[in-house]
Parts: sequence; structure tokens; C-alpha cells
Amino acid sequence: MYHNSSHKKFWIFDTEDAVELLRCEANRKFRSKMSTSGKPGLKEAMFLERHEERVLFRYYEKRLLDFCNVFKPAMPKSVVGTAIMFFRRFYLNNSLMEYHPRIIMFTCAYLSCKVDEFNVSSTQFVGNLVQETPAGQERVLEQILEFELLLIQQLNFHLVVHTPYRPMEGLLIDIKTRYPPLENPESLRKSADDFLTRASTTDTGLLFSPSQIALTAILNSASRAGLSMDSYLTECMGMKDNKETLLKLHESMRRMKKLIKEYELPKPEEVNAYKEKLERVHAEFNTTTNKRKRGYEEDGHVAKEPRIAEEEEWTDEDLL
Amino acid sequence: MDDQGCPRCKTTKYRNPSLKLMVNVCGHTLCENCVDMLFVRGSGNCVQCDTPLRKSNFRVQLFEDPAVDKEVEIRKKVLKMYNKRDFDFPSLRAYNDYLEQVEDIVYNLTNNIEVESTKQIMEQYQRENRDVIQRNKVKMTREQEELEELLLLEQQGNEQRRLDLLQEEQRQLQAKRKNKQALLDEMERSRVPATILLAQHKDRVAQLETRIEKQKQAVKTSIVFSTGLLMGQTVSLQPVAKIEEVLYQYQPLHIETYGPPVPELDHLGRLGYLNHVRAAMPQDTAGGYSSGLACHRALQDAFSGLYPLQN
Repeated sequence: MYHNSSHKKFWIFDTEDAVELLRCEANRKFRSKMSTSGKPGLKEAMFLERHEERVLFRYYEKRLLDFCNVFKPAMPKSVVGTAIMFFRRFYLNNSLMEYHPRIIMFTCAYLSCKVDEFNVSSTQFVGNLVQETPAGQERVLEQILEFELLLIQQLNFHLVVHTPYRPMEGLLIDIKTRYPPLENPESLRKSADDFLTRASTTDTGLLFSPSQIALTAILNSASRAGLSMDSYLTECMGMKDNKETLLKLHESMRRMKKLIKEYELPKPEEVNAYKEKLERVHAEFNTTTNKRKRGYEEDGHVAKEPRIAEEEEWTDEDLL
Repeated sequence: MDDQGCPRCKTTKYRNPSLKLMVNVCGHTLCENCVDMLFVRGSGNCVQCDTPLRKSNFRVQLFEDPAVDKEVEIRKKVLKMYNKRDFDFPSLRAYNDYLEQVEDIVYNLTNNIEVESTKQIMEQYQRENRDVIQRNKVKMTREQEELEELLLLEQQGNEQRRLDLLQEEQRQLQAKRKNKQALLDEMERSRVPATILLAQHKDRVAQLETRIEKQKQAVKTSIVFSTGLLMGQTVSLQPVAKIEEVLYQYQPLHIETYGPPVPELDHLGRLGYLNHVRAAMPQDTAGGYSSGLACHRALQDAFSGLYPLQN
């Protein structure tokens, strides 16, 4: 149930600014950590600025979405939604410069398959990296398993994500049952689904409850079709005597639509420039990850031989 | 277990299950047959240690290790003589020393260490303490008698109680029978309708029953614990603290869902919700699934957290 979940308690924020503040803080923390470590040849210009991080995040998020959409066997929508939400939550408190999004995104997808009871074996999972050789797939799998625990820890062990897909089903059932003025509710589905997919790549999941997102999707779809459903809210949802709630709900819907409208795919030239920068940062500072990895190997969790050299030549261009 | 046997004729328990092993004061075993054969004249020497033995002193071996039998025998003999008790001594220390000495003597005799000197010590002790030994022996026998008397008394009490119970039961049975007979007689004679008679009879039976019940309870309360305390008697001198409990009041569970109310699972069909979900297949229902469950869950998810937060 959403109303008493960790999702509502810890992962819903009041304003867009609060979310942005957390990300800036993560960026700043990484910078200060690196400058206190006293590495030679450190330049402020090397780090990614916050807006550059945002572009890269968008880019990798899109790639995660694409990866999930071509996944075989076909991934249920809630699994995809959970994976993207994991990705979003992870980079709320961590900088892209610290953990490479290339591997975190696969880890998110892998973990979400487990959490949402979509049963694929690990070899089946990496088998979807069609561009990789079997050895390469094996390598990715190892990295996924390495980062899985870190991811779970960074999610603060709050693994259940409430996606808006089931609420939308529920609302459709309710509309069909209690709102006869609408003649063909099924016609709203396609456009509403589209809305939810677009909403998943924005911060709406961190700001609004899944039921609100689903309701917005349906109302938005209805208004596009030229239908008004205001009486559904007042009559069926019990908001007739509660003008304040109704106003607030409309305000939330407005914010959601604004967020979705603002979304634009990152420009390829920008992405390429920032990605180079990101690779450089990782080549320079990825001491932390190496240390962690070695610690794992001592524990006997993962394969024994160091793979750092091979890792360098493994760029994400090979993957998709 | 496997090599328990007579050292003379080499018979073992395995070959002759009815074999009876005997042991004498020296602690060496012989089987019953050999004892009969060797001690036809009533006395002879031990086959193993040449100690002169009497046939009447042979005992059935109780322990696997004949040495234990020997020790038990010796201890019995020594304690007959060393029968002082703790209040015969000025201090606990002295009493413990005395017990230690007894143990030493028993150990020496059992293991044939300084047998002669030990026996001398015992004789000397006997001479010195003749009076005390005699007195204690008398006292012990008296105590024994008292104990036996007590046991007898208790047995008698038990018997008495059993008889009482039996009598009581018989009396009750008789009363019941009389009652039944009375009913039959009345049915024969009286002109009152049978139903009324039956009702009266039932009433009487019930009364009788309650009386018996009461009597039984009365009997029960007077039952005495084995410690001698009465059943109803409170032992502790402190009054039992009275705990005042407030009666539990059921509060219906209320969950804030931050949304419109969700219809009950049982009402979904009546309200028409189930017309809009896929009906459950017969094979789904085997596990307890019904389409209402999925419908209810979707509705709950749809309504939960729908209202914007009030802050």
C-alpha cells in the first residue's frame, strides 16, 4: 500500500527545488572529497558542472529506457518504471562522477527485475547486451553483481517502488463503473500510457504520488480528446465540498504537465562533449571504485583477476 | 556385559542367561552352581584369594563390578559400628573429620590396604565408644519405628477416604434410582398430564444434581496437599497485590489513505466493479484467487495518496 510505504515517507519531496538541491549537494560533495584527497594536477575545470551532469543523466536514462524496451523476454512496464526510479533515486545522493552511470543503469535494471518479481537469470539478463561478446557479457555481469549491493545500500534498502501503472488500471475500472457519462474509457488508455512513459523520465515520481500521476495521465488524455472530466473529480472522488483539495490537485497536475513539457532529449554534440569529460574524470579519480573492488575480491565474492586494464577499452559505444 | 561370567567354570551370561553370579566378602565372583559344589560343607576358601568364606555369606551380585558389591557389604558393616550423628560432635569440623575417617576405613578394607591396622583401629574405636554405639542403635530403631507408624497412618487415611467416596457415590446412585422409581409410580397413579410430571421430574433431577455438585466441591476444598496445607489456604503472608485491569475496548482499525474511500472487497460485485475486470479462470481460483482481489488492489492503489498533502 502506498500510503504507509517508504516510498511516500522518504522519497517524495515537496518541491522541484528540493530535489535539485540534493543533486547539487552530491556534486559539491564529490568535488570537495577529491580536492581534499590532494591529488596532483587537480583542476576545477575538470569536474562536470551540474547542468552537464543533468544532460548526461538524461542521456543514460534514455538509454536505460531503450534497453528495457528491447529486452527479451518483454519487460513489464512496472519493472521498467521501478528500474528508472532506482536510477533516479541513486543519483539523487550520488554524483555521476563518482559512480559511472553506464554500469549503474544495468544494475538498476537487474535489481528491479528481482524486486518486481520478473524472473530472468543473470546470464539471460546480460544476454540482452547483443553487441557484446560472451566474454564481455560475463564482464558486465561481474560488474553488475559488484555494484548491486552498493545500489541497494544507496537506496537505503527501500526497494519497493510504487509505479503509476496499477493505479491507472484502478482508475479506469472506477471510471467505467461509476462514471457513465464517459462513453468509451478504453479510448483514453493509449494516450494515458504515453503520458506515463514520458512522466517516468521526469522528476514527477519524486514529487507526486503514483495515484496522482495516473489521474493526471487520464485527465490529460481526456482533455486531449476534448472531453471534460471535472464532474468525475467532484462527484466520484468526493472533492465537491473540498475546494482546497481540488485546487491543490489541479496545481499538482499543472506542475506535472510543466515538468513533462520541459523535457527534451539531450543534443548529441553536448552529450559527446560531456561524456568525454566524464570518462576523463573517471580515469583520473576512479580510485574509489578500484579500492572497493579489491575489497570484494578479498572477500571472495567476485572473480579474482584484476580487470582494470580491460575495463579501459570497454566503452559504452559497444553496448547498444 | 559381554564377559560377565564365572571365573571357575567359565560360563558366561551369554551362554547361560539364567546364570546367577554370587559374591562374598572378599569381592570375588562365583556362579551359583560352583558355590553349591565348592561349599557343600558350609565353608571353604575363595578360589582366587584363598580367604576363608562361609556359604551363608554369599550374596547375589547386584552390580556389574563385584568390587562395588564388596564395598556395599563392608560399608554396611562399618556403619553399624560408626553410627554417630552430627549432634554427637561439638563442631561441624569434628563431624566432617569423623566422616572422613569412616570413608578411609571403608576404602582401605575394600582395596585391601593395611587391613590389619585398620581392623585394629576399628576395634579400638568400638571399645572406646561402646556406650554411644549402643545408644545410637536404640535411637535409630526407635526412629525407624516412628516412621513406619506414620506410613501406616497415612495408608489408613487413604483407605478411609476411598471408602467414603465409594459410599457417597452409592448413595447418589440410590437417590437417582429412587427418583426414577418415584416418577414411574406417579405416572401410574396420578391424573396429571405426563408432560407436567416429566417437567417436575426434570426439576427434581436438576436439584439433585446441583446438590451433588455442591457436595463434591465441598469435598474438594477440604483436600489436603501432600505438604499438609489445605487446598484453599493462602500460604504467603503478604496479601496478594490486586491488579486493576481496564477492560479492553475494541477500536476499529483506521488507516489514513490520503484519498477517497475504497469500496469493500465484498461489495465490489454488487457495485458493478467486477464487470470491468477479467474474470478469474477456473484454474486460477484453485489457489484462492478471485478477480475481486486484483480489482480491489488496483482500486486501493488508485485511491491511495490521491489527495495532495495538506501541509
